[in-house]
Amino acid sequence: MFHILKLLLPAVIPSWRFFDVIAPSPRIQFALLNSANAPSDNDYEWCEFRPRPAHLSFLQMLGRMFWNPERNESLFLVSCAERIVQQPTQHSEDEILKRIIAELKTNHSDSTGETTHLQFRLLLVQRQDSRLQQQVVFHSRIQSLSTQDKT
Amino acid sequence: MNFDDAVRLTEILLGFAFAQQSIEHFKSFPNEQRLFIPRFVLAVLLMIGFQTAWVAGLLFLSGLAMLHRFQGPYNGGSDRMSLLVLFCLCLVYLAPTQRWQEIAFGYLALQLVFSYFFSGWVKIVNPEWRSGRALCDVFQFSVYPASESLRQWSKSPRVLFVMAWGVMVFELIFPLLLLSRISLVIALIVAAGFHFANACLFGLNRFFWIWISAYPSILWFQLRFITAN
Repeated sequence: MFHILKLLLPAVIPSWRFFDVIAPSPRIQFALLNSANAPSDNDYEWCEFRPRPAHLSFLQMLGRMFWNPERNESLFLVSCAERIVQQPTQHSEDEILKRIIAELKTNHSDSTGETTHLQFRLLLVQRQDSRLQQQVVFHSRIQSLSTQDKT
Repeated sequence: MNFDDAVRLTEILLGFAFAQQSIEHFKSFPNEQRLFIPRFVLAVLLMIGFQTAWVAGLLFLSGLAMLHRFQGPYNGGSDRMSLLVLFCLCLVYLAPTQRWQEIAFGYLALQLVFSYFFSGWVKIVNPEWRSGRALCDVFQFSVYPASESLRQWSKSPRVLFVMAWGVMVFELIFPLLLLSRISLVIALIVAAGFHFANACLFGLNRFFWIWISAYPSILWFQLRFITAN
């Protein structure tokens, strides 16, 4: 109960600090694996999860005013990634793994091939002077693709 | 706009915003459907004005369930604004007298003003916002641009400098625009246009619908407390 009140308080007494600083920006990348044993980072082919479209027409933007579930889910996953960077929690890691697996099974079932497991990592992108830098800050546990959380 | 009309219009706009949010979860995981299908039904009931006090109370409980399910807001600021509008509406229904009802609804109006003013304040005290660099960063590497082609905007620093100052100045002077009816109406149209642009460029559609649901409170507040003779 106390936890819910702690989550509710910023809503009823907001700080309204939108975009006060442009913080390092998280990216979610995943790799499909053939086993539960993790080789080194470089042995994987890391793919960006749900890359944004190259271009959106004004009509598509208008449509997204009413129907935008994928984008809103991606923004939720950004929140989960930010929570992991601040303080890793099982909930945030589970949410990201669950949604990557669901996306793979729904839209990319052919690309999973013989792979049996999945891992994701978080990159932080930030500007250092005039150059962009990225740094890997988190690796998830290795999750079997066959144990998708149905809840 | 009198108090009852403003509250009723808030119910309709809030119901629409919740219905739109809920529909987006209809094809999601079963435990999300269990939260959002009832929420959609409640949102429709709020829109048509059926037992609004009970319905708003149940929507508030579903908002708490969402906080628990997602361990925080699903959609950041827009979920927080949703809870704030709902919280104030529930206080209006629970308030024992007209005066307390007005205080509860007035709190929503004040928070709406703060949402613009403090957003402007935290930007203008930051040198990166004043130089236009922060808005370049938003387009260059933040997660917000809705398409890759929008990242090209970061190569137009002069345009972004003007846009950054336009946003900061508008947000900071928003409270002053309450001083006359016409300036407030124009301010709300500009603000809605700002949220619409954010929805198009950054995919923040939920912010648009939920922020305009709070606009009736400020229209009522101005007539009641600022321009009233």
